[in-house]
Amino acid sequence: MAKINTLGFLVLGTLFFTACKEEVVPVPQEGPAHYVKIEVDPMFDTEVLHLDSVYNTQEGYDIKFSEIRFYMEDVRNGSTQLIDAGLFDYRARGTVLFRAEGKGSDFGSLQANLGVGAANNHSDPSAFPSESMLNILNANDMHWNWSPGYIFVKVEAKVDTIPDGTPLFNHNVVLHAGLDPNLQTLSFENLTWTTTGNDDVLRLKLDMSTFLNGSQVIDVKDEPSTHSAPGQEALTLKVMTNFKEALTVH
Amino acid sequence: MKYLLLVFIGFVLFFSCKKDKVGYVPTPYELEIPSHFPQMKIPEDNPMTVEGVELGRHLFYEKKLSGDNTMSCGNCHAPANAFSDPNQFSTGIQGIQGSRHSMALVNLGWNNFFFWDGRSKTLEEQVLLPVRDPIEMHETWTNATKKLKADAKYRDMFYKAFGTTEPDSLLAAKALAQFLRTLISGTSKFDVMYKYENGLPLSDAEQQIFNEITVQQWGGYDLFKSLNGADCFHCHNGPLMQVEKFSNNGLDATFTDLGRGAITGNPNDNGLFKVPTLRNIEFSAPYMHDGRFATLDDVINHYSHTIVMSPTIDPLIEFAFQGGVQLDAQEKNLLKQFLLTLSDEEFINNPAFKAP
Repeated sequence: MAKINTLGFLVLGTLFFTACKEEVVPVPQEGPAHYVKIEVDPMFDTEVLHLDSVYNTQEGYDIKFSEIRFYMEDVRNGSTQLIDAGLFDYRARGTVLFRAEGKGSDFGSLQANLGVGAANNHSDPSAFPSESMLNILNANDMHWNWSPGYIFVKVEAKVDTIPDGTPLFNHNVVLHAGLDPNLQTLSFENLTWTTTGNDDVLRLKLDMSTFLNGSQVIDVKDEPSTHSAPGQEALTLKVMTNFKEALTVH
Repeated sequence: MKYLLLVFIGFVLFFSCKKDKVGYVPTPYELEIPSHFPQMKIPEDNPMTVEGVELGRHLFYEKKLSGDNTMSCGNCHAPANAFSDPNQFSTGIQGIQGSRHSMALVNLGWNNFFFWDGRSKTLEEQVLLPVRDPIEMHETWTNATKKLKADAKYRDMFYKAFGTTEPDSLLAAKALAQFLRTLISGTSKFDVMYKYENGLPLSDAEQQIFNEITVQQWGGYDLFKSLNGADCFHCHNGPLMQVEKFSNNGLDATFTDLGRGAITGNPNDNGLFKVPTLRNIEFSAPYMHDGRFATLDDVINHYSHTIVMSPTIDPLIEFAFQGGVQLDAQEKNLLKQFLLTLSDEEFINNPAFKAP
């Protein structure tokens, strides 16, 4: 009987100490996360560029930009990737290209694709994580399925090509550049990040005047449209190379 | 003494481990997302539950939500019509007609704005408006929820879905939104074509459908995607067959309905309307924001010949200057054959979407 009692005590005691054991709650890491943010400031020469506002081209046309978008993919410093892809969409998201966890001090220089590299360009756009800008929900009409892949650079505008003082913006400009051969690489060196709160911020300048009048001039009256289709290779490449020239560190 | 100690320990053991009272926990609802679709973002404050979806289905077809108990959401969004209305304009309980066609409800869980003018940014926000709209259901949510509360079935369903027998508009909106998120269409012939052209694996059943796709349907798809053909893909693209944007598609030179412009106040948005999905377009006639076109042939003719220029016309309608893409009769027929591949009978006839 004494043995049974002792056994009973032992069983109850064990149950008592083990049954109510609380789950171990992980201790939250201290300190707020730090972020790296890249902003892009569209300009037209020295003026800040606003969508739907009128600017004057060197050919004397009045132009109103309605869309400016581009992909910057595989943003990294050497072997350290900062983000898989950022999508600049001036109308929808303003000047922010992307914000990712990291420290500016780790990114004294940056290399990236202007556009989307072949590996991602031909992947199922629905399969990217929902937070990735390559996911079809975020890409939206920056992805073609007629020629599967992403639009690298999209510039749309309305132009008044007749300088008669009457505003008639009836000339549409649609420049959609993509396809693997047109991918450009970007490299920014000796970067200076500005810290604001938890964000280390880098500002890039996108000069749309340089875009139109870069090393190769885009005459929006005579070259108003490319969808990177066969027969449009020259203008498509011009769009990409001029856009690369237009994008510089502030 | 030993027995007393045993009893004491037993009591301690029994009471010390008693859990806090746990509220009702509804059953998580697993959405069946087609393999070629992106994941759907579900709001953190409105997780999908079996009970929430079922309540939402009942509310969708509940006529008590209208002022005179004669009209439900389902009146203007009928499953057989791709959750749209076969009439050009829907008629509200006061006999008043609106000026816009009832939008088809499909794959809404992937949308970021709702109504033709995009005035609602969430489904939860959107579903509240037709109930109190004087030209639609014309009922206050206060009255509507009173009627629901007086019904034992709804008290029970609200409890099962949300742990309360006190219905309110926000919970009703959550349930309706949950139901609407289940309206997923991804099993049409087009889905097989999309998967094939994107190199995604086909199931045996899909392979069988693939074998049934006609040369005319493939030809129509080529036209659909062709810059020099029908040029539809700029606005109707991807697995959802929809680009999320507003567009002026050349219907009018001047606008009696400002569309998006009435919401933003920006003249550049005048005459712009939400680009709809083309899924189940066979069933969702009439077409355009004002239902002006009765048939698919009318729509194809519009984009072929009757595009009208205006200051805000979508720049992607590149053949607007010549009235449209100028398809000939054979091309029009091919394009129509392709558009019919977007019909999803499984979706249209899904009993889970019909009135309880």
